[in-house]
Amino acid sequence: MPEVSKMKKPDVKIVLLGDMNVGKTSLLHRYMERKFKETVSTVGGAFFLKQWGPYNISIWDTAGREQFHGLGSMYCRGAAAVILTYDVTNWQSLAELEERFLSLTDTANHDCIYALVGNKADLTDSKAQLCQDSDGLVKDRTECNEECEVPSGCPTPPASPTSLPGVMLRKQVINEDAVTLYGRILRYKGLEEKSSLPAEKMCFETSAKTGYNVDTLFETLFDLVLPSILRKRQENQQSPTVDLEECRMVGSKKGRSGCC
Amino acid sequence: MSVKAFELVPAVERDLLMGDKARINIECIECCGKHLYVGTNDCFIHHFLLAEVASSKGKPGYLAQKLLHKYLGLKKPVAELRAASALERLIVLCEGIVFLVDMVTLETVPSAGGGGAKIRGVASFCVNENPVNTDPFCVEMGVLSSKRRTVQIYMVYEDRVQLVKELTTPEQPCAVSLDGYFLCLALTTQYMILNYNTGASQDLFPYNSEERRPIVKRIGREEFLLAAPGGLGMFANAEGVSQRAPVRWSESVIGAAVCFPYVVALDESFITIHSMLDQQLKQTLSFRDGHILQNFEGKVILASTKAVYVLVPLPLERQIQDLLANHRVEEALILTEGAQRNIPKDKFQNLHKRILQQAGFIQFGQLQFLEAKEHFWKGQLDVRELISLCPLLLPASSSFTRCHPPLHEFADLNHLAQGDQEKVLQCKKFLISYLGEVRSTEVVNGCREDVDTALLKLYAEQDHESLLDLLASDNACVLADSVPWLEKYHKYFALGLLYHYNGQDSAALQLWIRVADGELQDPTRSDLFEYIVDFLCTSSNVDLVWKYADWALRKDPIVGVRVFTKRHTSKDQPDLNPDDVITYLGKHSQALLLYLENLVLEKRVQKEKFHTHLAVLYLERVLSLMSQSPKDEEQLTKARERLQALLRESDLYRVQFLLAKMENREELLLERATLHGKLEEHDKALHILVHQLRDFPSAEAFCLWASSSRDSAYRQQLFHLLLGVYLDGSPPGQSGDSGELEMAAVDLLNRHGEVFDAVRVLRMLPEGWSLQLLRPFLGRAIRANMHACRTSRIALGLAHSENLQLLHDRCKKPVFVSEKKGCHLCHNTFSEPSVVCLPGGVPVHTHCVAQRVRDSPTKRHTEPQFPSWTLQLWS
Ligand SMILES: Nc1nc2c(ncn2[C@@H]2O[C@H](COP(=O)(O)OP(=O)(O)OP(=O)(O)O)[C@@H](O)[C@H]2O)c(=O)[nH]1
Ligand SMILES: [Mg+2]
Repeated sequence: MPEVSKMKKPDVKIVLLGDMNVGKTSLLHRYMERKFKETVSTVGGAFFLKQWGPYNISIWDTAGREQFHGLGSMYCRGAAAVILTYDVTNWQSLAELEERFLSLTDTANHDCIYALVGNKADLTDSKAQLCQDSDGLVKDRTECNEECEVPSGCPTPPASPTSLPGVMLRKQVINEDAVTLYGRILRYKGLEEKSSLPAEKMCFETSAKTGYNVDTLFETLFDLVLPSILRKRQENQQSPTVDLEECRMVGSKKGRSGCC
Repeated sequence: MSVKAFELVPAVERDLLMGDKARINIECIECCGKHLYVGTNDCFIHHFLLAEVASSKGKPGYLAQKLLHKYLGLKKPVAELRAASALERLIVLCEGIVFLVDMVTLETVPSAGGGGAKIRGVASFCVNENPVNTDPFCVEMGVLSSKRRTVQIYMVYEDRVQLVKELTTPEQPCAVSLDGYFLCLALTTQYMILNYNTGASQDLFPYNSEERRPIVKRIGREEFLLAAPGGLGMFANAEGVSQRAPVRWSESVIGAAVCFPYVVALDESFITIHSMLDQQLKQTLSFRDGHILQNFEGKVILASTKAVYVLVPLPLERQIQDLLANHRVEEALILTEGAQRNIPKDKFQNLHKRILQQAGFIQFGQLQFLEAKEHFWKGQLDVRELISLCPLLLPASSSFTRCHPPLHEFADLNHLAQGDQEKVLQCKKFLISYLGEVRSTEVVNGCREDVDTALLKLYAEQDHESLLDLLASDNACVLADSVPWLEKYHKYFALGLLYHYNGQDSAALQLWIRVADGELQDPTRSDLFEYIVDFLCTSSNVDLVWKYADWALRKDPIVGVRVFTKRHTSKDQPDLNPDDVITYLGKHSQALLLYLENLVLEKRVQKEKFHTHLAVLYLERVLSLMSQSPKDEEQLTKARERLQALLRESDLYRVQFLLAKMENREELLLERATLHGKLEEHDKALHILVHQLRDFPSAEAFCLWASSSRDSAYRQQLFHLLLGVYLDGSPPGQSGDSGELEMAAVDLLNRHGEVFDAVRVLRMLPEGWSLQLLRPFLGRAIRANMHACRTSRIALGLAHSENLQLLHDRCKKPVFVSEKKGCHLCHNTFSEPSVVCLPGGVPVHTHCVAQRVRDSPTKRHTEPQFPSWTLQLWS
């Protein structure tokens, strides 16, 4: 059997997680192909290679459907960053992140970076609706939150939103909810809040449809995973795996450390 | 749309295997080289020889020849078969027992020394294709127990099996694959990787093996293909990481194999083929009663319950061409590049190039120029393929013919654009930029003429600004082909450049002159006339210059004369003889004047003839201006100034000749004074200036000018002369105010007192003049005298003291000079007693001192610093 050729070997892995229909595939399309197009619900998973400076970053798009849930751990294995995605118009999609997806990240790297992304901001936020250029950077997030504040005491999520142009939907998840969840994620990981990346930096609201904040999201993460790439390269230099025997040894060692 | 990547070819048909026995089913197969083994449900092993034959249409075919069949003597079906060809053994699983069978005779191998060649209670087993143990006469095997939750590793030898390792698993295992130390296992509820050497394990993902049959296939080093929930084919490596995106099978998938770059999967009614390169479904073949799908050393074999088939990959090139035919450029390229490892290097390179070129043309046809360019470039396209899309662009002399088989389907650009002229134009623009980029690279080696000529034609046709750059620099445009083309587009200036580049300057000039004269229209250069003149200036062909200078002079003498005045002279550009030029310019007076001015005033040619000629021309002009009425005073002043300047500054013209021409010309007294000055007839000159013109400033200026390169005595002489003229008063018979002359004399003295010899002046002055009048002059004279007197006294005193000093030195310390002593300045010895003594009593040669004084620039004009007294000493 011929040796299966591997494509350009990625230096680092980023994984998109989140419930079905929150827009993971759309976000990746928007970033990689600069457009918003029709998607079908992802089957299994897919990945893209992004050249970032001298590095190759693989970005995995996973399937949100329950059926493929079991594959999540494997996709997350060795990930340097995980993008936990929810839909700002769907409260349940945020809840699912904690209930269903957080445990999948147990296989990710110890220094894995977590980003919380509320997508479909265009449906609730006039700013995100107009923003076609994603370099327009984050306008004023706090100001935006005040504008879009949901009246308290109305927690029942409405039926799945359909996007009508110009009609604003009610925002079900405000940024503060995401910030709180981010704190809980850190606690789950056993990380100190002080020594971790701050929630303001790691909670994003995006729109794959208009491109709002999409570049900012990915490029912030790329920059944050660079140290991880460098460390990995250094490790590889320290143990050059030329010999096949040795190659196995290394593999097995990693295997062990990975599972305990 | 899909690709045809494989063809399903029957190998062993039903008849051959079971004849008409309806209840016999195929249970397992093994293929090893040409040997095909089939295990059936009635506990037989059938042995076939499988030969590849080409059928009539060039399609692949297989011919199976039955060699043997053997009943194994048990009641259950043969569940699994594996060949260990180095041992000449088949490993058989039947009725839960693994045992060995001879590959040739199919006889069961008796155990060596009791029971060692059988393993009981086996659910399934696999052979390690990439064992860590490298003993060629033993095979490593992973065995799943049917009752216990264990995996065992056995070594299989020719006549025995040996247990080397046993590991327990968390759940009942039901499928296994082995690579190196890594076991990939399907357990009841999940897949896992287990390192049998270290015992380390890695969970992969959950899978309900009771619900759906798991698939675990080793597809390469430390990489496995697994059936995942939802009908996915997942890849996982030994570290438990997926490095490829999954492919999507149906839920009912039975078997899978990798035949690079494809993943082949079998379900109840179809064979599906996905590319591992882009995860897309590429081909579907219907296949009923599918049962087994396995890859044996690169050969994918399938079996239904009754017959065996081979899935033959179509030649890669066919697949790629199919993709290209459907304009699936990306996929074609991915497939080509993915196949790099499986094709010899040079063959791959040729294939790759061709595919890149074809891809480029497809994109070109879709006006995706950026992508097309990249592919043309990478594929090192012979650019003439592109050029030939525009009719008539290639020169008639080109030997180019399009590549066969053709790289594209287009007859020409019009065909490509289906008559849309806007598109044709876009294509041409692309062609221009592409040719411009490649023309200086090695891609065009051997066809530079074709490329440059095509580019020239496109530039001309599109009125492109780079046309001139192309022609003005190194190029290989074919002249014969370009001439009619450039004429057609009225690019006459460019055509001239091309003639020039081809050494046909005369043709170039003739053409340009027709444009400059308005006979032909080409707005390229509004300054074409100047351009032609400059061109003649630099032309090394003198005949051309003589031939066309007349035209230039007639068109505009001032610009035209530049042909001669601005001529660059260098080795390969012979200079023109000025006499010839002057003769030639005879009828072009304005040009002649400019030419002479250039010779005399700018080039400063020191020849009497030219100077005199110029002076005469100046004079004639002055005279002609003077004879006009009304006079143009401004012009006249200018003309006289020029004449005067020349008369003053040049020393070469024939003075008498000019003087004769001005005889009796009362208007030209000033000029005549200058001429007299040239003849050193200063009295005449001053007479004219003082008495005839009464122009005292000019008289004074004359004295300064006439003595400008002479010594002070000469100047004094002249000033005294002028003073004399002033003091003598008006000559008899000429009316004039002698008081005016006296005032001029006073002014002269007061202004230029330093020039005069004061004593002589005092003697000349009339007695009656008041001192007050001459006060500035006298004051200055006295002060100067006093100063001179005192200075010389000081010098005298200093010299005296120095002498004393030296005398003292000498008396105190005798100066010794001998043949052994060296001179301080030249370090040679003394040969004669006369020496010069430097201060401090240092003796040196007299000639050395003299030399030193001469060489020292600061001392050249002063007295030698060293008081040089000569010693007449010889000790
Ligand atoms: N208005 C709006 N719609 C979006 C946005 N992003 C995605 N959608 C829509 O949401 C739907 C789901 O998008 P996907 O990108 O397929 O969602 P997914 O997270 O990949 O879903 P799975 O693959 O099933 O996990 C599609 O109909 C998109 O058009 C967004 O930013 N704004
Ligand atoms: Mg998706």
